[in-house]
Amino acid sequence: MSLLTEYDSDAATLRRAARRFLLAALLLTLALIAAIVVRQGLFRQTTGYSFVTNSAQDIVKGQAVRIAGFRVGAVDEVSLQDDGLVKVSMEIDADNMRFITHDAHVELRKEGLVGSPTLEIVPGPDKTRLAAAQARLTFSRADGFSALANQVRDEFVPILKDIKVITATLADPQQGLPGTLARIRATAESLNALLANRGHQLDNIGNAAINVLGRAEEDLIHFGQTLEAANQRLPGVLDRTQQVLDNVEKITAEAAISVPPALRDGAAAASDAREIVSGAKQAWPIRNFVDAPAPATLKADSDPRGEAGRAR
Amino acid sequence: MRARILLIASLILAGCGATPRPADPPRLAAALETESDGAKRYERGDYSAAARRFNEAVRIYISIDDISGVARNRRHLARSELALGRADAALLVLAAAERSDGVLALDTLLIKAQAQLALGRHEAAKQSLVAATDQCAGACPQLASVRLLQGRAALAEQRPADALAHAEIALELLRDKNEASETGNAWRLIAAARLAAGDATGALPAAQAALDIDRRQALPEKIARDWLLIGDIQRKLETRDAVDSYQRALDVANAAGLGDIAGIAARALAEANPAGETGRIQPIRH
Repeated sequence: MSLLTEYDSDAATLRRAARRFLLAALLLTLALIAAIVVRQGLFRQTTGYSFVTNSAQDIVKGQAVRIAGFRVGAVDEVSLQDDGLVKVSMEIDADNMRFITHDAHVELRKEGLVGSPTLEIVPGPDKTRLAAAQARLTFSRADGFSALANQVRDEFVPILKDIKVITATLADPQQGLPGTLARIRATAESLNALLANRGHQLDNIGNAAINVLGRAEEDLIHFGQTLEAANQRLPGVLDRTQQVLDNVEKITAEAAISVPPALRDGAAAASDAREIVSGAKQAWPIRNFVDAPAPATLKADSDPRGEAGRAR
Repeated sequence: MRARILLIASLILAGCGATPRPADPPRLAAALETESDGAKRYERGDYSAAARRFNEAVRIYISIDDISGVARNRRHLARSELALGRADAALLVLAAAERSDGVLALDTLLIKAQAQLALGRHEAAKQSLVAATDQCAGACPQLASVRLLQGRAALAEQRPADALAHAEIALELLRDKNEASETGNAWRLIAAARLAAGDATGALPAAQAALDIDRRQALPEKIARDWLLIGDIQRKLETRDAVDSYQRALDVANAAGLGDIAGIAARALAEANPAGETGRIQPIRH
């Protein structure tokens, strides 16, 4: 008998524990459901707004609606009206109604150039009046990639036309790049010819200078020999030096016309050389071997040139 | 080598022992040096450089108030201008001399007559020659030149007989004198006068005598003129040699850069031998 009594007590305890467990599970399940419902906004107070557009492209039910980038609602319904336009209804949290002014408008934007489309409610400038519940807002589509491409195309087309005109002008054989290049080439050839000519002249001058130096060297050799018979030969050597200086003077006279001014210093050099020779003539003992210049007498010649250029 | 050193040393010692020559004042020495330079260039035929030197010498002589030096170098300058074919420039130089000196020296008058003849001012040339003749009374050293210029003036006035007479007198005056240039001028004038008088046969040896002298003098301008004259004479004689003579004149003138004579020679060549014909030579048309 006592054994049965003891069994009944244990069974009652087990039943009690089972009931407590079931109750806790039920409460937990209810709390979970409540949380889900709250999270889904079933108990949230919302206000409806709508807009009309001519196309439902990029607009779907449940699509987020944002204000200043914050999600404040979603598209509740997209429907086609009898007039062919599309009516879009939105549910906006009542807490955010204060941002929706009576002149606000809805704009369909894309996140980036190719991102997902979102609806953005842009408040109007008049902040004193809010939009009424179920109000119909205006709608517009922001410029997407296509619009941007069109804009870019619109900007580029005139530029391309200008480039086409410029290239056509450049391609013109007379006035364009070919003609200009031809003229530049002709000018360059002329310049080359001029430079070659100048170079030739400089070469001639250089050769003449070399000849002059060579002759001067010869004169110096003669000068050394003349010391052996100075009283006979020194005047002749000096005369030859004068001839050399004459050549230098001629060269420099031509150079003054045809070569860069730097070469004109040759005249000064010739003058200096002449002074040196003159000084040498006056220096002892050379002066003893050189006759001092006397007043010159030109040989008589009554017919140096003929009459008025006539030879006969 | 040692002998050469000894020779040089002895020469230096001789120079030391020589009596030093009194030096001219520097400005006068510079003027004389410049004048001497000009004369050398003139003798070499570099008349342009000679003219520059004489012009510089005139300036230096003016600066030291050496009147005779100024007059002398003005004459030299005028002769250089004449030789360059710039008779008008020569007359300008002589005009400056006339203003400063008052009376022109005989040499100056002769140069003035040459310039006037070159410019075709025959009357003025005759007046200058009359003044020159007055200064050359008797037997002045320039009498031959006076006669030659008188002959040229006569020839310019189509008086070949007078020209020939003056030239022959001048040639006689120049005999045994070292005046090769004037002697050549006399022969050339004789040839031209004979040609103008119609004696082409007598003119040819005279022109060749002038050519011989001018060749020895190595005077390209006169050689070219002699060949032209010989060509004219040969053309008068209607010989084929005229073409060769004109060609020689052209070659000499071209080589010497004598543009005016080259032009005359080219024209004479074209007239004597039109289109390179080999037939009968064209006679001179007077």
